[in-house]
Amino acid sequence: MTTSTPYGPPPAFDPEAAAMLDVIAEQVPPAILPDMIPAMREGMGARLLSDDELSQDGRIELVDRRVSDEVSVVVGRPTGLRTPAPGIYWIHGGGMVVGTNRVGLDEPLAWALELGLVVVSVEYRLAPEHPHPVPVEDCYAGLRWTREHAAELGIDPSRLVVAGGSAGGGLSAAVALMARDRGGPRLTGQLLVAPMLDDRNETPSTHQMKGLGVWDRTSNDTGWTALLGSARGGPDVSPYAAPARATDLSGLPPAFIDVGSAESFRDEDVDYARRIWLAGGSAELHVWPGGYHGFDSFAPQAEISRAAKAARLRWLRRILAE
Amino acid sequence: MRELAGRLAALDPEAGAAVKVIAYFDRLVDGHAGLEALVRGAATLAGCAARLEAPGRRIRVSADGRRSDLDTPVDPAWPGVDGLWLERPGPPSAVDAMVLERAAAAIRLVLERDRVPEPVEVVLDGTAAPQAREKAARRLGLGATARAIAYADGTAGVMITPPAGARAGIGPAVPVLDLPSSLAAARTALRFTAEGTPDDPGPRVVRADELGGLAVLAQAVGPGSEPVPDVRALERAAASAPWMLATLDAVATSASLRAAAAALTVHHSTLQDRLAHAETLLGWSVHDPSGRLRLQLALALRRLHRQSTSA
Repeated sequence: MTTSTPYGPPPAFDPEAAAMLDVIAEQVPPAILPDMIPAMREGMGARLLSDDELSQDGRIELVDRRVSDEVSVVVGRPTGLRTPAPGIYWIHGGGMVVGTNRVGLDEPLAWALELGLVVVSVEYRLAPEHPHPVPVEDCYAGLRWTREHAAELGIDPSRLVVAGGSAGGGLSAAVALMARDRGGPRLTGQLLVAPMLDDRNETPSTHQMKGLGVWDRTSNDTGWTALLGSARGGPDVSPYAAPARATDLSGLPPAFIDVGSAESFRDEDVDYARRIWLAGGSAELHVWPGGYHGFDSFAPQAEISRAAKAARLRWLRRILAE
Repeated sequence: MRELAGRLAALDPEAGAAVKVIAYFDRLVDGHAGLEALVRGAATLAGCAARLEAPGRRIRVSADGRRSDLDTPVDPAWPGVDGLWLERPGPPSAVDAMVLERAAAAIRLVLERDRVPEPVEVVLDGTAAPQAREKAARRLGLGATARAIAYADGTAGVMITPPAGARAGIGPAVPVLDLPSSLAAARTALRFTAEGTPDDPGPRVVRADELGGLAVLAQAVGPGSEPVPDVRALERAAASAPWMLATLDAVATSASLRAAAAALTVHHSTLQDRLAHAETLLGWSVHDPSGRLRLQLALALRRLHRQSTSA
C-alpha cells in the first residue's frame, strides 16, 4: 500500500455513532499533538469508570497484583466463578501515551460475566517517557506472569486469549508475535479491536480520514513518534513495536480483528488479516461501516456498536469452548 | 455512555447540555437516521427508556440502547412530546425537555420523509416531475386521458368509476399529464354542488364540462365578496318557508311548471300558490324565461357563497 493509491472522500460516519462524536468532540479532538498528552491523561482519568462501577454491585471482584517493580496488573473475576476458567489478558488502549489498566476494562469484564472467565489487565509504562521496547516488554512480562500464576489465578492455561483495543490491540498482536518467537506462553487467540499496527502512517485510510473522527493521522504520528522517536517510519522498526512490520505472520493464534471503515487504522488492520490468511492462519475480520475509531465505546448503544460487541462475544464463546 | 450521560445531565442545562443535545439530533437527521436511532438517542441522552407511539409505529428503547418493545400502556405521568415519551414519572428536567423536543422534531421529519405519496397524489400534483406523474398514471391503470374529481371533504381523486353518492365536482377528460388542470376545474365544479337537502337543494355531483358560462361566475365569488341583491332576496324567501328553496330549485331546473310540480309531488295549484308567495318576496317573476334565468343565477350564486364560507 502506498500513498499513490487513489482515494475518494472519506466514508460517511454511521449516523448514530457520529451523533455521539459531536457530543464528545471537545473531550476527544481528532488531532492530538504531543503537547496535549498531559491534558489527555488528566481527561481520561475523569472519564474512567470507578472500581465500584467496574465491579457492578459486587458481581466482579477486582484485585491489584504486582508483577515486578515496574509492572502491575488488576485481576477481575466474577464472584463465585468456578475455576479453572478461561483467561483474558487485556491490554488497554491510549495511543501508547495515555491510559491505565482500567481503560476499556468494562468490556472484558462483561465478557467475564457472560462467559465465566478471569480478566488480567496490565499496567504498562507509557511513551514518551518509556519508549519502545518498554511498553511491549511490560505487556509480555505481564503475560508470562499470568501464565506462570495461572493456577493461583484460577485460569486454565490452555485457554488464554490476549485482547486489547487500539494501542492495546497493537500490543496484543505484538505479544502474540513475541510468544510465538520466544516459545510461549501458548495463546488460544488474539482479539484485536481496531489495533494500532503500523508506525509508517501512510495507508490510504490515514490520509483519507485526516482531521476527522477520533485518532487521525496527526494523533497517530504523535503516538508512534512518542514510542519510536526518530526511528518512526524508518527502516529499522521492530515488528514487536509495529506488528505491521512483521514479514512472517505464520504460526500465530487465531485472530479476531475488527475496525471501522471510517478510521485511520482501517487499511492496516484489513491488511494484517489478509496477511494472516496468506500465511495460512486463522483470522475473523469485521469492518463496521461508518465506524470511527472507538465508536463502540463512545456510542455503545448505537446499532453498529452493539453488533460489534456481539461479534466479539460470539468469537470468544467459540474459541474458548471446551 | 453511563458516565457521558451523567456528565451531560450535570452540565448547565441552559448552555452546554442543550447545545450537545441539539448537535446530537442534528447529526442524526443529517445522517438520515431512522426512527429507532432517534428513539435510542432520546433514551441514551435522558438515561431512561424512551418510547414512540405514532400511528402504525411503536418503538421502545431501553436506557442501554436495546430495542425492547412493550405492549404496556404509556403512563400519563411520563413527560412526552408528540407521542415520544420518557419512561420516568414527574416533570422533565431541562435536559429531558430539550431531548424530547429535539427528538420529536427529528421524528416528525423522518415520518414526513418516509411517507410514500400515493400515486393518485402524484398524478394530481402539478409540481411533481412529468415522469413521476406518468409512472403514477400507469400504476393507477389510467389510459391516455382521465378526469380528476374534487370531493367536498377536500380530498381529490382520479375518476375510474363515477362516485356513488359522494358530493363531488368532476373535471374534464384530459391527457394524464394535464390532470392537475382537470382537478382545478373539478374544484370549480364542486362549488356548484349542493347537499341535495330541502335546506340546500341541487345536484350533489356537477361536471365541469356542463358548467358552460357558469364557470365564470365562480371567479366572481370569493370568501369576502358581497352577495348580490338577488341572493339576499333568495335568502329572505328561504327563511319564510321550509319548502321555499326546494320549490324554487325545482322550478329553475325543470322543463315546465307541471314537471316541477311532479318532481316536488305537489298539486299544480299548490305550486302556483307557492310561486305567487315566492315572487312577492323575491321581487321578480319566475314564470317567464328571463325570470327563470335570474332565479337560476341567484341559486348558483347562493351555492358559491355557501361553499366559500364553509370552505
